Amino acid sequence: MHLSAETYSVQQAFSRYCRTGKKGNLSGVQTDRMAWYREMVFNIFADALETAFPIAFANLPQGKWDSMTKEFCSQHACQSYQLWKMPLEFYTYAVENSWDEKHHIPYLNDLLSFEWAELELYNMEDLAVPAFKLQGNWLQESILLNPEYRLLAFKYPVHKETNRRKILQQAGAWFVLLYRMPETGLVQFIELSPWLAFVMEQLYAGITLSDILAYAPDLNITVTDTLASETVLFLQEMQTRQLVLGFQP
Amino acid sequence: MVGIGFRREFAQELIAGELIHPDFIEFAPENWMHIGGHWKKLLHQAVERYPVLCHGLSLSIGSPEPLDQEFLRYVKSFLEEYQIQLYSEHISYSKCDNAHMYDLLPVPFRMDAVRHISERIQQVQDYMQRPLVMEIVSYYTPVAAEMSESDFISEIVRQSGCQLLLDVNNIYVNAFNHQYDAKEFIAQLPLDKVGYIHMAGHEKVTPDLIIDTHADAIIDPVYDLFEGTIQRLKPVPVLLERDYNFPQLPELQGELNRLKAICNKHWSRNHALVSGNI
Repeated sequence: MHLSAETYSVQQAFSRYCRTGKKGNLSGVQTDRMAWYREMVFNIFADALETAFPIAFANLPQGKWDSMTKEFCSQHACQSYQLWKMPLEFYTYAVENSWDEKHHIPYLNDLLSFEWAELELYNMEDLAVPAFKLQGNWLQESILLNPEYRLLAFKYPVHKETNRRKILQQAGAWFVLLYRMPETGLVQFIELSPWLAFVMEQLYAGITLSDILAYAPDLNITVTDTLASETVLFLQEMQTRQLVLGFQP
Repeated sequence: MVGIGFRREFAQELIAGELIHPDFIEFAPENWMHIGGHWKKLLHQAVERYPVLCHGLSLSIGSPEPLDQEFLRYVKSFLEEYQIQLYSEHISYSKCDNAHMYDLLPVPFRMDAVRHISERIQQVQDYMQRPLVMEIVSYYTPVAAEMSESDFISEIVRQSGCQLLLDVNNIYVNAFNHQYDAKEFIAQLPLDKVGYIHMAGHEKVTPDLIIDTHADAIIDPVYDLFEGTIQRLKPVPVLLERDYNFPQLPELQGELNRLKAICNKHWSRNHALVSGNI
C-alpha cells in the first residue's frame, strides 16, 4: 500500500471524529469546520433511521430516540454499503445491546422488527413466483403462497397500537404476517391467531392443510369441522388478497 | 446533453416526461441495487425511456482500507445489466475503520494519497473494464495537506488515467470556503480529461462557509462559472443535481433549459454521453 502510516492515521482520526466527536491527534484542519462533517454524518444516519422507523420516531420519547441514534452512529461500524439497509443494523444493535431494558421500552424490539420488515419487504428483490393453478382441494393439495412475506411473532401489539400504556397492557402472543402485493408492490399486513400463524408457517413449509389439522391435537387444539371450515374460509379470503396464490399444479 | 438525477420523489413524472424531460438521467447504483417491487418496475421504465449514467456513492476510493470486492462485483453486474454508459465516483472516502459513514470525507492532499488513490482507480478500471470518471468533491476543511488541491487532482488524473467529473458548483463552493479563485483553479486542471459536468445549488450557512446541499436552485455566479468553463472543454454531458427541497418540476425544467441554452451557445456539435478519448 502506498499510503503512509501517518496519512492513514490522519484519515482514521478524521473519520473517528465524524462518528464519535472525539478529537484525536489531528493537525492541519480547521476545527470549527470539522464540526460540520460530524453534523452531516449524523444527519444522514438520523434521517435514514427516521425514515425507516417512522412509528418509533414519532412515538418514542425524543430524548431516548436521540440517545439511541447517537450511540449507534458512534459505536457501531456499519457494514452495509447501501444506506437503506443500515436500519437493519440499528435494529440488530438494539437487540444485542438490550435497549429495550436500558431505555425501559419493553416493546422496542418488536416495534423495530415490525417496521424493518415492512421496509425490507417493500424494497427487497423480486422472488420467483412458482407456477400454480387457481382451483384445488384446500385440504389435500399443496397450497402455494405469495413468496414475498414475513411472519413475525410479537409480545406486544406494535402493529396496531402506538400508545405506550395500551401496548404494555396487551402483552401476550401476537402474530403478524406481512406480504408484498404482486402488482402494486405495496406491503400489507394481517394479524393472525396463534392457530392461523401455525397454519401459515406450515403451509409455507409445504405441508398440506389436512396434515396440519392432524397435528393440531399435539398443540392441544381440538379439531372440529368448524376449525377446518373456518381455516379454509380464511385461506379463501387470503386468496382474494393475494397472499394465497393457489395450488401446486 | 443535459440530464437530471433520478429521484424517487419525482420518478413518476420523469417517466411520464410531461413536466420534465431531460436528455438523460443519473442515479447511484447503491440506491437501486438489490431492489425489487414497485421501485424496480419504475427503474425499468426509466431506463427504457432515458439513457442512464451512474454516479456511485460507496466506492470510497480514498479509503485507507482495501477495496470491497463484493461491492465491486455487484456494481459491475448492475452496470452491465442496465447497460450504463458512464460510471462516476468521488475523490473522497466514506468508509474507514471498517465502518461506512455514507458521506464524502476529504482525503489529505498528499503525494502518498495520490499514489494510493491512483492505484485503486486503476484496479477498479481494470476490473470494471471501463474508465472511471472521478469527481472533485466539495470540502469544508483541508486535512493535513502537503500539496495544493489542483496538484493533487491533476496528479491523480495523470497517474490513474481516469477522467474528471467537474462539479462546477463544488469548485465555486471550495473557492469561496478556501478563498481562492475558482477560474484560476479550473485553469490549472487537466481540462482535456473532463468527461462529465455536474451543476447544483448550495447554501451559505455562515458568512464564510457554503455547504454543498443540492437543495437549492443554481445561482447566477455558478452559471457564469459554468459558461466560462465549458468554453474550454469539449462537449460532455451536463447533469443538474437536485436531491432535497424539490421545487415544482417546471422550475427544474427551467434550470435544465438554461443549462442547455448555455451548452448550445458554446458547443456547436452534439456529443455522445461518453467521450472518445478515454
